[in-house]
Amino acid sequence: MLTVTRVPPPSPLQWVSLLTAAFLVLPTGYITYVAVTAAPAVWTRLWSTRIPELLGNTLSLAVSVALTTFVLGVSLAWITVRYDFPGRRMWEWALALPLAMPTYVLAYVYAHLIGMGGPAEQWWQMVLGPDVRLPSPQSFVGVTIIMSLDTFPFVYLLVRGALQNLNISFEEVARACGISPWATLRRVTLPLIRPAMAAGLALVVLYVISDFGAVSLLRYQTLTYAVYQQMTSRYDHTAASILSLLLVLMAIVFLATERWFRQRSRFYQTSGRYRHSTRQHAGLLGTALITGYVVVVFAAAFGIPAAMLIHWSIEAISQGALDARFLGFIWNSTFLAALAASGAVIIGLPLAYLASRRPTRLNIACLQAAYAGYALPGPVAALAVLVLFTHFAPALYGTVVVLIIAYILHFLPVGLQSMEPALQQITPNVEEVARTLGCTTQHTLRRVTLPLVRNGFIAAWVLMFLQTMKELPATLLLRPVGFDTLAIRVWLEASEEYYQLAAPAALLIVLLSLPALMLLVSNDWRRHAQEGAR
Amino acid sequence: MAVFPRTLYALTLLLAMSVLAPWPLRTAEAGDKLVVYSGRAERLIKPVLDEFQAKSGIQIELLSSGTTELVNRLQAEGDHTPADVFLTNDAGSLEHARELKLLRPMNMREVERAIPSQFRAADNSWIGLSGRFWIVVYNTNMVKPEQIKSLLDLGQPQWKDKIAIPNSGSEYLQAGVSVIKTTYGDDRTKQFLQGLKTNAGSQVYQKSSQIVEAVAKGQVTAGIVNHYYIYRHLAAQPTAPIAAIMTDQQEGGMGAIMNVTGIGVTRASKHVESAKLLIEFLVAQAGQKLFADLDKEYPLHPDVKADQALVDRHSFRAALVPLAKLAELREPTLTLIEQVGLR
Repeated sequence: MLTVTRVPPPSPLQWVSLLTAAFLVLPTGYITYVAVTAAPAVWTRLWSTRIPELLGNTLSLAVSVALTTFVLGVSLAWITVRYDFPGRRMWEWALALPLAMPTYVLAYVYAHLIGMGGPAEQWWQMVLGPDVRLPSPQSFVGVTIIMSLDTFPFVYLLVRGALQNLNISFEEVARACGISPWATLRRVTLPLIRPAMAAGLALVVLYVISDFGAVSLLRYQTLTYAVYQQMTSRYDHTAASILSLLLVLMAIVFLATERWFRQRSRFYQTSGRYRHSTRQHAGLLGTALITGYVVVVFAAAFGIPAAMLIHWSIEAISQGALDARFLGFIWNSTFLAALAASGAVIIGLPLAYLASRRPTRLNIACLQAAYAGYALPGPVAALAVLVLFTHFAPALYGTVVVLIIAYILHFLPVGLQSMEPALQQITPNVEEVARTLGCTTQHTLRRVTLPLVRNGFIAAWVLMFLQTMKELPATLLLRPVGFDTLAIRVWLEASEEYYQLAAPAALLIVLLSLPALMLLVSNDWRRHAQEGAR
Repeated sequence: MAVFPRTLYALTLLLAMSVLAPWPLRTAEAGDKLVVYSGRAERLIKPVLDEFQAKSGIQIELLSSGTTELVNRLQAEGDHTPADVFLTNDAGSLEHARELKLLRPMNMREVERAIPSQFRAADNSWIGLSGRFWIVVYNTNMVKPEQIKSLLDLGQPQWKDKIAIPNSGSEYLQAGVSVIKTTYGDDRTKQFLQGLKTNAGSQVYQKSSQIVEAVAKGQVTAGIVNHYYIYRHLAAQPTAPIAAIMTDQQEGGMGAIMNVTGIGVTRASKHVESAKLLIEFLVAQAGQKLFADLDKEYPLHPDVKADQALVDRHSFRAALVPLAKLAELREPTLTLIEQVGLR
């Protein structure tokens, strides 16, 4: 068959994707515009007062959380893939659970537990005397630990996936060539899982610099927190835009670094000779240590906070905190999250499809534009949407539409990260084969393409659903009247220190997130995806 | 094989559902309903509104949020705002909303009879409902009350690492600094803020309740809060070692810094008659008592007595800066706060 290379004419799909991309960069563009055109006096004032401290705080927190999650995530992935110990299957799954726990919930539980005069301190002082103080959760170390406990599953899940897919033959060859185990680890295994580590850490860093709930409950000043404060205490948004621009730039630098890492190390699996690694037994002492480590991390990141939430919820419910309004909050939360996730999948589809199927410069640029939202933390996304809508479509302001758009802007990149590889893994040959075998275009799409990308899309939907469920700052700023979500309830109660009353809503967020999370980590669809890829 | 199309159907169904779902759009035209934007903690306003709803049959929809956030929101929504009533904790913000023409001048005899004129806008576009004082809370085990006479004392070096303050986004702090600035001038205010910043260190809080808690636990010896947070804490924990100091009562002192919670009807409201009923309810003696006691504030109606736990209103005096002036003072105050670099 003769193939002729030619520039494809712009299809309707291309127009759609172009418009979507334009729409997605608009907010970032607007923020940049406001920040750049701000009076120099505002810039100098901010530089001389707030910016150095905020930049320092944000960067140091990002680095320290990245290091901590790196150690936690990689070690746990290694243990669960390479060793056998009692309850391994259960722990494998349980270690992903902290993803269902919003960071602000973890923050408020620990602020109470180990804060001044909290139960942990009282117990500590009973043992060691009345003048001994625990390290405060409202310190750099405290914030680092709490954020790390909540975000290490990103690294854990990705590295675990990479380790599971790693062909053990490579290691065996290295060993057979007389290379020491340590050198094999350093020169063969680690380079192979490096892209996964980089991707996991990038997720962690972006999560940390855009987190609002935990840092504000723990009173740790980061750029995102400062943007929110500016937005809620000033009438004009210039200073907020300037700080947002810095945040966006910071996120772009992180993302570019991660891409660079990934591009430098691409590995291809040769098919046919793939073998799993065999699990080792660590001996009695080793097994005890491993189990102890896993149990401690799990308890700190999920077990203890969940137990506290259940305990508080029971107290709150016995005081009559659950009323009919609660059903409304549950509905609002699931409704918004489902709608945002579905909307994002639909909006992201043309972008991801064109970029992977017809990777022209234009199409790739459109996809990159969508990633701009990654760098837009909640308050910033809210600010951009708020300003744009009040200027251009005031009638929609204060409706669910605005909120959904802010969510899509903010979370679409998370979804695209799963949609893009799902589309990339189908080679055009597969579709061409189907066509030569007599399938119509529609048939090919339905019988071949869609089943192959299904799992990637489900993962994208689930990830966006989970994130939207927990979202706080944009919801706070843009929710319509009488449209409180579970996250808002947690926030309203917890920020007034009514811990018991915040608990039922927090517990519900966790419970509602569980099915989605289970879908995400269950090996079932992973295996499907791998089979589909082969 | 057919699973994916099913997912597509599900998505379509969901989208269809979203169109049919009860959109919280402007459905307020139907029946007696009031949308209230409230900058006051939901817990402290909902019982009063519930009482009004039960009495009047007018259904209340409440949006609780930050004060400035709500002013920004009202301004952004303009004529499209679903809000009928704006109720909040800071006279400066209310006055600012009036200047932005977001509020509607009211002519109500009941209001003029019940609330003294210094607690209202000249054209009644906002009406004070209760008074609060921005004063010092101290730990009774750690300090003697004689050690603190004035708010400005807390800027002195001996309080290093011993005090807790609200963050610079707090409208109470902004209003308080405005009053100090008007009374003592820029230089002294700046010096005071510098001292506060150094002395508080990392003890900068988002919520006044957290400051009171920090003082009660002995984490710090004193803090600056609105008076009612102290009594709210004491109501929950009667043995907590905390008490209030009504500051700046010395000879020639500026007096305790006062602010009010107030209410205004939005210019865009289509339910002015219902809104009037709510205001009447809140300024009447019973409403005043209910509203003020719920939060341990001072009622503004001269014939209504404050909660017995509070310091007698006649035993101290308030600073003389007019409430309506707080709005124009705010921008210069914010500049000052930012120059000092308060968090």
